[in-house]
Amino acid sequence: MKKILIIFLVPQLIFAELVLEITQGSDDPFVIALLDFDGQDEITNQINTIVNNDLNRTGEFKIIKKDKLLSSPKSEEEINFNDFKLLNIDYIVIGSLESENEFNLSASYQIFSVLSKKKIRTSKVLGIPNKIKQLAHYISDGIYEEITGLQGVASTKILYVSELKENNESLYQLIVADADGVNEQILLKSFEPIISPAWSPDSKEVAYVSFETGIAKVYIQNIANGDRRVAIQNSKQISSPAWSPNGNFLSLTMYQDGNAEIYILNLKNNNLTRLTNHYSIDTESSWSPDGSSIMFTSGRSGSPQLYEINLRKFNSKPQRITFEGNYNAKGSYLKNGDGIIFVHRSSDDFKIALKYFNENFIRPLTESKLDESPSISPNGNVIIYAVTENGENLLSGLTLSGARFRLPAKKGEVREPAWSGFLR
Amino acid sequence: MKKTNNKSFQNFLCASAFLILLSSCSSMNVTEERVYDGGIKTVEASVVEVQDLDYETKAIFANATVFFEFDSYNLTSKSIQTLKSVVSVMNSNIDIEITLAGHADERGTREYNLALGQRRAESVKDYFLLNGIMSSRVTVKSYGEERPLSLGNDEASYSKNRRVEIN
Repeated sequence: MKKILIIFLVPQLIFAELVLEITQGSDDPFVIALLDFDGQDEITNQINTIVNNDLNRTGEFKIIKKDKLLSSPKSEEEINFNDFKLLNIDYIVIGSLESENEFNLSASYQIFSVLSKKKIRTSKVLGIPNKIKQLAHYISDGIYEEITGLQGVASTKILYVSELKENNESLYQLIVADADGVNEQILLKSFEPIISPAWSPDSKEVAYVSFETGIAKVYIQNIANGDRRVAIQNSKQISSPAWSPNGNFLSLTMYQDGNAEIYILNLKNNNLTRLTNHYSIDTESSWSPDGSSIMFTSGRSGSPQLYEINLRKFNSKPQRITFEGNYNAKGSYLKNGDGIIFVHRSSDDFKIALKYFNENFIRPLTESKLDESPSISPNGNVIIYAVTENGENLLSGLTLSGARFRLPAKKGEVREPAWSGFLR
Repeated sequence: MKKTNNKSFQNFLCASAFLILLSSCSSMNVTEERVYDGGIKTVEASVVEVQDLDYETKAIFANATVFFEFDSYNLTSKSIQTLKSVVSVMNSNIDIEITLAGHADERGTREYNLALGQRRAESVKDYFLLNGIMSSRVTVKSYGEERPLSLGNDEASYSKNRRVEIN
């Protein structure tokens, strides 16, 4: 008996709108004077707020507000560098809206180094009026890049699952939003659970697990046109998808003989290769940034631990890589390949932890009790993860420089975050 | 701190929609870029509803749920008592087919819990097969931690959620 989900009956509370809260900044930030953008207030107010929040969230900056400055120049000619040097400001950012008509909106900005008393960047972002948020994120990323030397992630996206409980039924939604939690758009709605969303390396497709047929199955969906397909057509339970860095393969967990084993699906010819073969649980595969290794969680030692298989060596055996504690699971590699982050149990609490390969100890990164699903930003500097507070799931984040933020939902629960690649 | 403005970005969502022009502006370059925001289409899943068992069968299996310890899929002696009675019902009702749905508590990762729920259901299936039930009469699946019976965040709730439901 098939029941088609009737969308019109779903009340319009469907957005699990996220609200960004910055809880802690970095210890040694760049001090910048972010002067208000010049132009039509209605638009510049939005841009000023978004750029301020984006830069704040990176944890790399201390932003000096207009009322604390000795002068507020609107152009290069009006800058008196000494006014800024007295306040120990490192950089000055000034900007303005350039064209405002029905179809075009562009902004330009300039960055000045107080130390060298010179302009170090002039940039122009071309946008359209109904995408002011995106335009502002581009400006944030330009400023971030110029000052830190790292590519910015304000213009990237996050994917997550929301659950809204109404009476005895739950509505599950797979949602994509801007990195600051705003601009949510729904990719999938279902009355059955959705877990383990993952981006393709080009960020054009997502893979996820949906229980809509009654058992866990992996689906691949095109974001722009909504086309979706089952990754493997068979009757088995399949879960935990992870894309190879080149986008040609999808590793996943298939319950072929009733037990969780890891397989690699060739997306070009649909060939399936079995990677693990052990009577205990093997799942949660993830690829090293160079595609040469797969890390996974295995219960083969008696408790969940992380193992790694070298794909380039013939007949390579899994090597255990975590030894501290009796629960280490859901690992992902740092973007530079120097280490891993994972879920670690210490006494009764589940925390996100970091291990560098050249260290023989682990570094717990989070403080609460039930943290899970860590995902790393494409520039490798920010980790977003799910926490449970008062029985409800919400998203939290931290940067490797020490800043922390939260993204609680206004309604319902949010979990299973996954960070896109660069989109800019 | 100064670096070149001519950056090469490796991951474009849509490289063709992009425009990075470098033009000269007195002494330095101006980077120019166009905002791109791809479209998104929402999909609604058609949920397949599992056929309900007829009233009589349902009555027989009403309380057939067995429980497990944390991170364990071993059957307890209490579970075995429950399963014994299910086996005898199945032996006297040869047409009955059952589904075993494994579950886990919320602690630990979702995918590991999915696998753990499956192992629990497989343990129950193994018991049935050892006691002469044909494999074709038993379907196994897992919901992991996605379908808790009890919503609390303490051991009393967790222990209710580490279970296999027999339907």
